[in-house]
Amino acid sequence: MEGRLSKVQIVLNEEELKKIEELFGEFLAESEARDIVLLNKSGELLAKSGDITSDVAQNISALAAGVFSATNELARLLGEKEFTITFHQGQETNIHISLITQNALLAMIFDNKLPIGAIRFWAKKTGTEIKPIIEQAEKRAESQTQKVINEDVEKDIEDLF
Amino acid sequence: MSTINFAKREISFKIVYYGPAMSGKTTNLRYIYTTIPEKVKGDFTSIATETERTLFFDFLPLELGSIKGFTIRLSLYTVPGQYIYKLTRKSVLRATDGIVFVADSQIEKKQENIDSFQDMIENLIEFGENVETMPIILQYNKRDLPNILSIEELQQDLNKDNKYQYFEAIAQEGINVIETLKAVTKLVVQKA
Ligand SMILES: Nc1nc2c(ncn2[C@@H]2O[C@H](COP(=O)(O)OP(=O)(O)OP(=O)(O)O)[C@@H](O)[C@H]2O)c(=O)[nH]1
Ligand SMILES: [Mg+2]
Repeated sequence: MEGRLSKVQIVLNEEELKKIEELFGEFLAESEARDIVLLNKSGELLAKSGDITSDVAQNISALAAGVFSATNELARLLGEKEFTITFHQGQETNIHISLITQNALLAMIFDNKLPIGAIRFWAKKTGTEIKPIIEQAEKRAESQTQKVINEDVEKDIEDLF
Repeated sequence: MSTINFAKREISFKIVYYGPAMSGKTTNLRYIYTTIPEKVKGDFTSIATETERTLFFDFLPLELGSIKGFTIRLSLYTVPGQYIYKLTRKSVLRATDGIVFVADSQIEKKQENIDSFQDMIENLIEFGENVETMPIILQYNKRDLPNILSIEELQQDLNKDNKYQYFEAIAQEGINVIETLKAVTKLVVQKA
């Protein structure tokens, strides 16, 4: 049985999103990361920074969450509770994926010129800085009992297709 | 877990197509991809074996349009149905908002359908999900084939209490594919 928290929605408001994007911008410049993507465990894109388009970031989110989730089944088989970091290294590019709160994952993409130690350092630092903002959003989501869409949506959904 | 982005006024939902091997899950997503291309946002990603069987998952991001001022986004996934991918399947189901269970109507698939449904319920319970309130739609697929179970029989196997809405489908020809998607969308949006 896993905690109830795994089902908590992340409700980001304008202010939080702006703050996160600001921080991402700063870290992008300082760390020489190419892109930073914030996502949740179900693979939804929450925020991004860098040159990638939203469409690509969305695909990265789905795959990163998939990789992370599969890695955690591996962890369990090995008797670990959770692997909190996965790292993939290529010829030109690296991606570092880390769990920063109960629900949120941070993916940072780097060129290969940076040593692994530096990548770890920047990923950790970025994660630590945005963690309180996301935790605040999670807390708010948990206490939000009011429904977002209240009215009958039957007909609206018919019209969408 | 649905994600509400108040800044962008977007709500995103994860929907998983679950079911036994070869029941037609990937075929559903492929049909959606080719039928409503204007709603596809990004790439259709398929992580498959060399023989086109799903190895990890398929992923199709959709942007349907807006309701009450919120843009509705869906992320559709399929699980790999083959038995050996049990844990991969479980990992794809995690944190989902709704499920389409694609059953194979063929008589010889009777037990596989039942086992797959049971496996799904067990996974949900293990995740701590409330099985009673989880949006689930059934799709009885491959109705075009000759040796198939009757609807009564399928209902008896998978939907004894008539708890779930079901569709008879021929995914290969697109019959009731969009209707199934529409039905699960209604359930997840109503729950948000
Ligand atoms: N006759 C018939 N065949 C179908 C139908 N839907 C799908 N198929 C066929 O069934 C086979 C398997 O379909 P897939 O969509 O790949 O099945 P899947 O559920 O994704 O299978 P896994 O990825 O192994 O779990 C393909 O050859 C499809 O063309 C249908 O409605 N009728
Ligand atoms: Mg498949």
